[in-house]
Amino acid sequence: MIELQDVSKSYNKGAVRAVDRLTLTVRPGEIFGFLGPNGAGKTTTIKMIVGILKPDAGRILVDGKDNQREALATKAVTAYVPDEPEIYERLTGLEYLNFIGDVYGVAKKDRLERIERWLEAFELQRAVGDPIQTYSHGMRQKIVLTGALLVEPRTFVLDEPMVGLDPRSAHQLKEAMRAHCDKGGTLFFSTHVMEVAERLCDRIGIIHHGRLAAEGTLDELRRQAKDTASLENIFLQLTEK
Amino acid sequence: MKRTLALLRVALRSNFGLTLVRHRLLVEKRDRWMVPLILLGVAGFVPLVLAYIEFLKFMFDALQPAGQETTVLTLAILAGQLLVLIFGLYYVLSVFYFSRDLEFLVSLPVRPSEVMLSKFAVILVNEYLTTALIVIPAFVVFGLLAKRGPDYWVLAALVFLLLPVIPIALAGLLIVGMMRVVNVSRKKDFFILAGSLVLLAAALLAQFSLARTRDMGEVMSLFTARDGLVQVVGAKFPPCIWASRLLGEGLTVRGLGFLALFGGGSVVLLLLLMGIAERLFYRGLVGLGERAAGRRRLSKADLGARISAGRRPVRAVFGREWRLMNRTPLFLLNGIMSVVLVPVILLLALKAGDASGPLLALRSFGTMDAATEILIAAVFFTVCGTLNGTASSTYSREGRQFWLSKVIPVSPAQQTLGKFLHSYLVAALGTVAGAAVSVVLFRLGAGRLVPAILLSLIGGVFFSALSMTVDLARPLLKWMNPQKAIKQNLNVLIALALEIGLLFVLGYLIKAVRSAGLDGSGLIVAVFALLALLSAASLAFLFRFAEKRYPLIAA
Repeated sequence: MIELQDVSKSYNKGAVRAVDRLTLTVRPGEIFGFLGPNGAGKTTTIKMIVGILKPDAGRILVDGKDNQREALATKAVTAYVPDEPEIYERLTGLEYLNFIGDVYGVAKKDRLERIERWLEAFELQRAVGDPIQTYSHGMRQKIVLTGALLVEPRTFVLDEPMVGLDPRSAHQLKEAMRAHCDKGGTLFFSTHVMEVAERLCDRIGIIHHGRLAAEGTLDELRRQAKDTASLENIFLQLTEK
Repeated sequence: MKRTLALLRVALRSNFGLTLVRHRLLVEKRDRWMVPLILLGVAGFVPLVLAYIEFLKFMFDALQPAGQETTVLTLAILAGQLLVLIFGLYYVLSVFYFSRDLEFLVSLPVRPSEVMLSKFAVILVNEYLTTALIVIPAFVVFGLLAKRGPDYWVLAALVFLLLPVIPIALAGLLIVGMMRVVNVSRKKDFFILAGSLVLLAAALLAQFSLARTRDMGEVMSLFTARDGLVQVVGAKFPPCIWASRLLGEGLTVRGLGFLALFGGGSVVLLLLLMGIAERLFYRGLVGLGERAAGRRRLSKADLGARISAGRRPVRAVFGREWRLMNRTPLFLLNGIMSVVLVPVILLLALKAGDASGPLLALRSFGTMDAATEILIAAVFFTVCGTLNGTASSTYSREGRQFWLSKVIPVSPAQQTLGKFLHSYLVAALGTVAGAAVSVVLFRLGAGRLVPAILLSLIGGVFFSALSMTVDLARPLLKWMNPQKAIKQNLNVLIALALEIGLLFVLGYLIKAVRSAGLDGSGLIVAVFALLALLSAASLAFLFRFAEKRYPLIAA
């Protein structure tokens, strides 16, 4: 479960307000899609949830724990995939996965089983022994995802996870996301692909100028926007200014 | 021409980050607290510069009666140019071939020589900063003591501006040639490392062959001939003779001849580099980032064997640091390789009779009292181990991957412990290298070696923790080129200045304690206790600081 309570974040000593008193809740078992135009505050929000950025005001709770006061406890139950797969290029894929397994304390038996499963799913078996610097953008994205899935956390936070993935891998990821939430896990992800959000999300939040412009199920959003057409139309209507 | 100027402008702006600095200080109003800290770091060099000026004055006074005073200029110019050539090799390699913007620049409709010229300009400006400390004091001391007119000062400025051009161009020619060959190889990293070491060894050999010891008769004959010393010192690197003769002669016909040689030589070499760049630069550059991938499917048994059984987080962080440092050629050259190279360079200098200060004291081993020898050896070992950028760039080296350190469920103090163990291991390797050299060359006995090693090892904890604290205060995470994270990182310079300054303070403190009557083994124990106290306090502070600082670092 993720709860944001009146969370704000500014840059340039308050001159640029990236996130403005944002309040939302993502319940267990729920896939929450976070949409918004470029620069709306999506990545800033995500970075605050996972502890990369510190909010100026407000509280963020992960599994009921404050992510600033009990940072390690919340990090232990969260896996994050950034929008850019910037990872240690000089390590091999397997060394990276071992590092992630070590710091999250994943037991060897679970590690082996999960790594095998996800390498197979993402077709990385041949590349995992090579340095990450030899990987394409999509392969890097897949090794970061494998690292996140290896942890099997209660909460996933993914920033545009589909970018760079081939259709088969994107399909595998969507299946994994659904399975994770069906088991009671929480998933918060941002995307620009409306079709993905429309088909995958239990609830959707649209952020605009750092504020939550709308939130709810697709049906609820349609009612709010007085539009029964696609999510794309709703998005365009809510973010036109 | 317009295109070249635009490239130059962008290269200088992005490299020196003036726009970013201005934005941070004036618009975002961040990092203002760093300004006094940087000034303090720079102030750490003041005692060294003052001592250097005194040395130059002494040299001038000693050489003037024999008409050899121009040697002051020749030595400073030679030292400046060799410094640029030797350390420039790594620098040229990293700027010409490992800047992240190169992929973008290659795709632009500009000539390879224009791209190289923009990179050359970046190196040139940096080398002005490096050589200024060596060359400007010599020019000023000479100008004032020789009571030279305005033409001297104009020519001195010109020589200073041209001084790095020839060595950078030479380093550039060597590196461009090397990379053309390396880029066809499958093991590029290995050949880059090996090639750099070969070039460095050649440059060092050249330097020390210049400073070989001469017999007394030879030395006397040098003093009797006018400018005999200048000839000898500069014989193997003529540009430094041209430059010092130009300054010595001033605006005379002979002086103008030397100006033509020095200025013309610089221009010719630069043009040669540009010409070679047009043919070879992109051939060495394009595809350099490609690495041979085995793409061998691991069997289940292989995978099982290579999956770790679960290491403790501190060990995992240590392992990551070790691998990332040793597998990045530019980090390796500046880190572990330098702790091995520093003692070798210092000793070559010593052997060549080119030593001063504490190094000269090392030559007197066996003639001093035990406590003095132990302390001097301990300073030497500590310098060998900690005067490199490993600890002071430990956070900066993570660069854009620092987000990982912020999201993993490992406390900042534990992560810092893993990093400290890595930095300290490198420092300890330096201590061992320094100790080995002292045993082989100075026959340092166990009775003096062991306490010196212990002092150095405990001192290494303090200096490593101090250097890490400096980097943690303001890690440089947004770099485009690994060289920036370690060699051009201001944190490395600040830590270096702090360490030198503190060693001086410690030296004065020891002198004071000795004159108060504490000496011998009592003094050594007291120094050890002081260092142990400083080490414990600095480590405790570092861990607490990490807990406070990590959440505030934006990744």
